[in-house]
Amino acid sequence: MKDGALQRTLLTLAGAVVAVLLAFVVSSAAIIVAGADPGTALLAMFDFGATDIAVSSSIALILNRAVPLFIAGLAVAIGFRMNLFNIGVEGQYRVAALTAAFVGGQLALPAPVHLTVIIVVAMVAGGLYALIPALLKVYRGVNEVISTIMLNFIALSMAAYLVRGPLSGPRDEGQLTTSTTPLPESAQLPNANFLFDLFGMPAPRGAGLWGFIIVAVVVGVVIWALLSFTRFGFELKASGLNATAALASGVNPKTMVISAMVLSGAIAGLISMPEILGRSFAYGTGFTPGLGFLGIAVALLGRNQPVGIALAALLFGFLDRASAPLQFADIPPSVVTIIQGSIVLMVVIANEVTRRIALRWEERRAAARLAVPVKTGATA
Amino acid sequence: MSTSSDPPPAAPPAVELEGITKRFPGVVANHDIRLTVEPGTVHAIVGENGAGKSTLMKILYGMQKPDEGEIRVNGEQVVLANPADAIKRGIGMVHQHFMLADNFTVLENIVLGAEPTRAGRLDTASARTRIRDLGDSHGLRVDPDRLVENLGVGDRQRVEILKVLYRGARVLILDEPTAVLVPQEVEELFANLRELTAQGFTVIFISHKLDEVLGIADAITVIRRGTTVARVLPAEVTARQLAELMVGSELPTPETRESTVTDRVVLDVREASVLGETGRPVLREVSFPVHAGEVVGIAGVEGNGQSELISAIMGLARLSGGQVVFEETDITGWSTRQRRQAGIGYIPEDRHREGLLLESSIWENRVLGHQGVPPARKGIWVNRKAARKDTARIVREYDVRTPSIDTLALALSGGNQQKLIVGREMSGTPKFLIAAHPTRGVDVGAQAAIWDHLRGARTAGLAVLLISADLDELIGLSDTLYVIYRGRFVARLDPSQVTPEQLGGYMTGAITEDVS
Repeated sequence: MKDGALQRTLLTLAGAVVAVLLAFVVSSAAIIVAGADPGTALLAMFDFGATDIAVSSSIALILNRAVPLFIAGLAVAIGFRMNLFNIGVEGQYRVAALTAAFVGGQLALPAPVHLTVIIVVAMVAGGLYALIPALLKVYRGVNEVISTIMLNFIALSMAAYLVRGPLSGPRDEGQLTTSTTPLPESAQLPNANFLFDLFGMPAPRGAGLWGFIIVAVVVGVVIWALLSFTRFGFELKASGLNATAALASGVNPKTMVISAMVLSGAIAGLISMPEILGRSFAYGTGFTPGLGFLGIAVALLGRNQPVGIALAALLFGFLDRASAPLQFADIPPSVVTIIQGSIVLMVVIANEVTRRIALRWEERRAAARLAVPVKTGATA
Repeated sequence: MSTSSDPPPAAPPAVELEGITKRFPGVVANHDIRLTVEPGTVHAIVGENGAGKSTLMKILYGMQKPDEGEIRVNGEQVVLANPADAIKRGIGMVHQHFMLADNFTVLENIVLGAEPTRAGRLDTASARTRIRDLGDSHGLRVDPDRLVENLGVGDRQRVEILKVLYRGARVLILDEPTAVLVPQEVEELFANLRELTAQGFTVIFISHKLDEVLGIADAITVIRRGTTVARVLPAEVTARQLAELMVGSELPTPETRESTVTDRVVLDVREASVLGETGRPVLREVSFPVHAGEVVGIAGVEGNGQSELISAIMGLARLSGGQVVFEETDITGWSTRQRRQAGIGYIPEDRHREGLLLESSIWENRVLGHQGVPPARKGIWVNRKAARKDTARIVREYDVRTPSIDTLALALSGGNQQKLIVGREMSGTPKFLIAAHPTRGVDVGAQAAIWDHLRGARTAGLAVLLISADLDELIGLSDTLYVIYRGRFVARLDPSQVTPEQLGGYMTGAITEDVS
């Protein structure tokens, strides 16, 4: 009988929806306090533009924001699965972005190889940077939350120094910003605007939909399969649910911490790839920060499940895009931040509540079936 | 506490339940429960796991509300909406699984949630006095300033009882209190309980150990299939009659028949030593072989090195000296996984801590510990289909009562969880099995089934190391019996000759004899 599992899934879903709705209620209060009308705000958020091209562009904007968030959420979720709090995704993706952009800018290779090299370098750099807190935890018992936070600061400052100094690319006279050597054409990922064609929509303006979305989907599927169907995924989950039982079952906690952390870091290394390979073609002043921290929220919202993370990333992308139209409607765009914050808060609460309800249901169902064994089929 | 209560002649019952019915969607877990507990008595509630004792307890302690019926405390009808209500009415509960914070002192644990304060700060001085007084007047002496992690099981239980008394309880519910105790500790507990009842406290004692129930209880209520089927006095019934009331079937016996011991050594522990956290040896040069078809029993008061011995064999603790040899291969340096995959099964002493993923489904729990071998494994994948199929087999063969194999493990009763673990560890034809307290906290029916499975595997040539606090189980199942005391084997006994009293003597160090 699978109805138990189905019920649990529905309950989770219902919890998330209620949380999002409650967050909008809280945000509406904030909007009213700010002197605006929640209705107008809501309309503005769903206003994707008047023309087809504007709609396409809005969707591309949402997706371009959602893809890095999705990857960041995946990276965080791998650690969360075994109660390993990799707060260092922020630093890991920055180190990876700088390294990959620098290496990519130095090479001249055929396009597919060049792109592959950059992506691999990014994953290796992110993974190695995550290896530091993993080793500290395994061999010195250093709490990974503290070490990763500290390593974030180091990554931030180190990257800022390196991109101005040793790793900076050519700079025009009078140019104030610095960046690594721009990637040659062979390392520029074509856009994925053909996806709009498939839906009979016009191509968006500007750089369009970054081509990395395809890679991100593949990564998502791989991670999903890894977490749900492999022995590694099972051991990861077991370590998270009951570390002593995992130990007694032959799961080596040291191996698990190291592999989960490094894998998390390697995925984190991909976070900046959509942007670097799709628009900026260098690591520099225009780098988008903060995705690692948002990834924590996205992973929480998505309950560490790849599909949930994808939905959460889309929601965050949608909210981010909404800041511009909100401004046009004379509503402070910080409303978006308030909504995001309240969603995360509500979801954390909803997760705990639904988890408890689900467990209680399960206990009752089993107790109910076994308390009065009248039906002979009860044990089948 | 005051000892002022000398019950007047016609005192109302301390607790009275009438017509209590509790329905869960679709079915009835408790129906028409009738229970009258006289003040100042020990009232035992016996019944198989799943008979509805837990639900009844939850109702009494305010954790669940009955759909019908009345609860009267000291003759006064009450509604218990939550445990705080129950505590207010003087009802306290000592849980089977201790609810103590290891890194707190006894005092901190006792006052937790009911802290006395002075000027906003924890008033440890008055708490200490009060705990000392409580301890002295009830014979529950525990040093309030010791860390709970350093306490033995008996002391922890006394802390739990003190915790309840500290909150002013007059009625104590004890859920399977003897499950974790050795005979001497059980005696101490019973002495404590008798003292408490003599002072007017009322004890509700839940157990399936019928001998103990008959020894301590003033009255017994039997629950079967969700309802109270009989109220008897211990003087009027025998253990067998009581068991029949409980299950309506024959009492199982743990005795093994003819010997199936072969001369092939499967596991050989050679002068194994393990250091404790303080650097002092907790297991000292222990040597023994386990042959195919042999059950080697280890008796000992908890905390004398049994856990370390298990850890050493499973590869969970590092040996400071000696060897573990499995099928003529030195496996001292092997990982837990290698050992498991080589054919070592493990029924852990604490199934919640080491044996189960409570929030995972039953089939996932089947995979746990066996994720590296077929049928659960297929290359890098977990073979869901095969694992599910094999789980269904375990559920069938080991009579695991569950709605489905997708049910979460936490929803099963203790006995069924244990049967699942036994089934899991027996699958894949292990060559050697560690069974640590395999029937702890399970009902008579499950106990008999588990004993049968152990016996069957032994006949088929399995080598078993049995660690248990249940001396009847040890004597009945073992072919060879060792006693462990302070990390050493102090006696090697023939289970067919030894009596529980003799065993108890060795276990407490009262009798000494060297085996090495």
